[in-house]
Amino acid sequence: MEIIIEEISRGHKLIGRHKFAQSSVNIGRGYHSDIILADPHVCAEHLTIKHDGESWRVIDQDSINGCFLDDGKKTANGHIIRSGDVITIGKSQIRVIFPHHPVDTSITLSPFENLINLTKHPVTLITNIAIFALLTGWIFYLNNPKEVNFTQLFVPAIGLTLMFTIWPALVSLVSHLTKNDARVFTQIGICFIFYNLTWVTDFIENLVRFNTSSQFPLTNIVILLPIALAFCLFWLNCYVGFHMSNKRRLLTAVGLTLLIVGGTNVIKYSKKPDFTVKPQFDSTLMTPNFMVTQSNSVDDFINDSSKLFTDVRKAAKEKKK
Amino acid sequence: MKGLVSLLLIFFSCISTATEQAEVIFKQLAPSLYQIRLIDKASGEKSSIGSGFQITADGLIATNYHVISGYARHPEKYKIEYLDDQGNRAALTLKSVDVINDLALVQREVSEPMAYFSIADKVPSKGEELFSLGNPHDLGMIVVPGTYNGLKKESFNDRIHFTGSVNSGMSGGPVVNKYSKVVGINVATSGNQIGFLVPHQKLAALFNSYQQSQTTNIDQQMAQQLEQNQAKLINTILNSDWQLKKLGNGVIPTVDVPFIRCWGESNADKAEALLMVAVANCSLDENTYIAGNFFTGSMEMDFQYMQAKKLSDTKFYQLFQRRFSRVMPGNKAGKDDVTEFECQHDIVMPEQQNIQTKSIFCTRAYKSFSNLYDILYLGISIDKTDQALISHFTVAGVTQQSAQSFTKKFMESVSWK
Repeated sequence: MEIIIEEISRGHKLIGRHKFAQSSVNIGRGYHSDIILADPHVCAEHLTIKHDGESWRVIDQDSINGCFLDDGKKTANGHIIRSGDVITIGKSQIRVIFPHHPVDTSITLSPFENLINLTKHPVTLITNIAIFALLTGWIFYLNNPKEVNFTQLFVPAIGLTLMFTIWPALVSLVSHLTKNDARVFTQIGICFIFYNLTWVTDFIENLVRFNTSSQFPLTNIVILLPIALAFCLFWLNCYVGFHMSNKRRLLTAVGLTLLIVGGTNVIKYSKKPDFTVKPQFDSTLMTPNFMVTQSNSVDDFINDSSKLFTDVRKAAKEKKK
Repeated sequence: MKGLVSLLLIFFSCISTATEQAEVIFKQLAPSLYQIRLIDKASGEKSSIGSGFQITADGLIATNYHVISGYARHPEKYKIEYLDDQGNRAALTLKSVDVINDLALVQREVSEPMAYFSIADKVPSKGEELFSLGNPHDLGMIVVPGTYNGLKKESFNDRIHFTGSVNSGMSGGPVVNKYSKVVGINVATSGNQIGFLVPHQKLAALFNSYQQSQTTNIDQQMAQQLEQNQAKLINTILNSDWQLKKLGNGVIPTVDVPFIRCWGESNADKAEALLMVAVANCSLDENTYIAGNFFTGSMEMDFQYMQAKKLSDTKFYQLFQRRFSRVMPGNKAGKDDVTEFECQHDIVMPEQQNIQTKSIFCTRAYKSFSNLYDILYLGISIDKTDQALISHFTVAGVTQQSAQSFTKKFMESVSWK
């Protein structure tokens, strides 16, 4: 009668798996045991799992710390094992499985997987990182009111690129520490693709803000674009780095997105003073070739301003002492 | 020899006349001259002082508005008091104000008719000697002789230019001619023997309108005066000649009125600059004080022309964005005085003009004066790849109608050559 005994971690992650075709299995720290544990809270002879002809039973060998079911609530001594039971021994845990234990259905590899694997391809990776570094350097150049040479742009560009590598490195590290495949290059590849996509959404946002007037109600929809990108990035980080159910992955991605978006907004609002004399307006500008809308006339502009007067008049009345 | 002696005698008698005159004035008029103090009720101490002078037998006293502005804005926090030349103190009540000319009328109690200053009925002549009376720096009453130099040319609201050492603390004190008639009221100094006075006609006008109908609400009176003044100012400006001047390759308006003065600057001498910048700034030199950190009635117009020397158009546009990111209103006002600004933006092309601008217009309302607003405009040209024209103005204390008329005319006056 075969029996499978798994060594598992606190989070029920598999550390080791043993299959036995004998009717009695000794578990302990001693080197004569069938399963040798390293945990110092486990005795040299700690417990035996024995098949008595009908069923498998747990027999505690007078160990100092005992053995328990259900995460330490009930003692396991004398317990008749069912497939899937978890037994706590000292600070370690084992799970007992019988051969007829059902397995989850297999998951087909999606074509998605191929796409993901493309991202770690050296050409894709290098191209994306290069695009990111070049764009960063170009933005530094644009914002500098004095003449700059290549070296002065090169250093901050490379510095920023390295800084942005921290996130995929962090995700890979967490992945590795939780006994998943780190897949470092894939994570880096995905992150840089999304960083570059963010340049695109930035451009679209500027284009919309430049061309629309304050009367246009949908301008703020462009804010959703970077949020959507952040969500997709986090979702992919989870997909590549961890084994999770679809629901869990979705929740994690949503949670991280909300954290970033919520966090930055909270910081922004906490810095906002109670009363400001500085007028707040949108003055996004682009070069003339990106002007794609019709201009308004002066009279229409003046007429539109009547609404502003009404609004501030109302605000003045509201806050009266 | 006789001639020399008589010359010397005449010379000395002239000098002594001046000092004699001052002495006489001091003796005669001292009882009608007061120190006006604003007492903070909570601490019981004076929080500001100025001077005032009696203009009727029954105790009506004239002073500056800014001496009692604390009380006018927060009557529950302060009380007004006078200190006369005998050291007596008693309360004063606020009766009427002229916030545009910085005047106020306060009333004291009298037990019997008292001596008072009479207001002159004609304007002094240029060079005429005048005597300014007041109480500088809480030091006691003094007389300062000086000269009448006519009206200040660049004021919108008339002010007399007086060469004499007017000091703070003398605000609200009278300036009399040698007949002891009031021809002006001390209002401001610009240091170094340059002082400014409110002409006596303004006090006469305030006094007459007070006699005809007593004001019940000071805030309403102030609101009405502010609205009238801004209507007069904006209409004068709109009806004047708007001369179109060149600024680089742009054309900007300069209003041809004496009370708006323009200054210009450029960086043409800096060879290493990436942008050639030329600026012009035109502003109204005066404003109306309402209280503490709250001023209104100012106007400022600012123009910048920029040309890229050897830049890509993207970098040019990126660089000049910094030049207008810090626009602020021109007048000081706080949370209790005004609301926050509300803004709109659009792309505008005026008719028959060859310029396309991103235009931004902002306004904020006054909390105590329901028809008045501060406005701010910013126009940025967006149709040339290597040149830009930025036009900007801030105006304080205007009605919606004045604001929109002025903005329209301004927007239609800015273009390329």
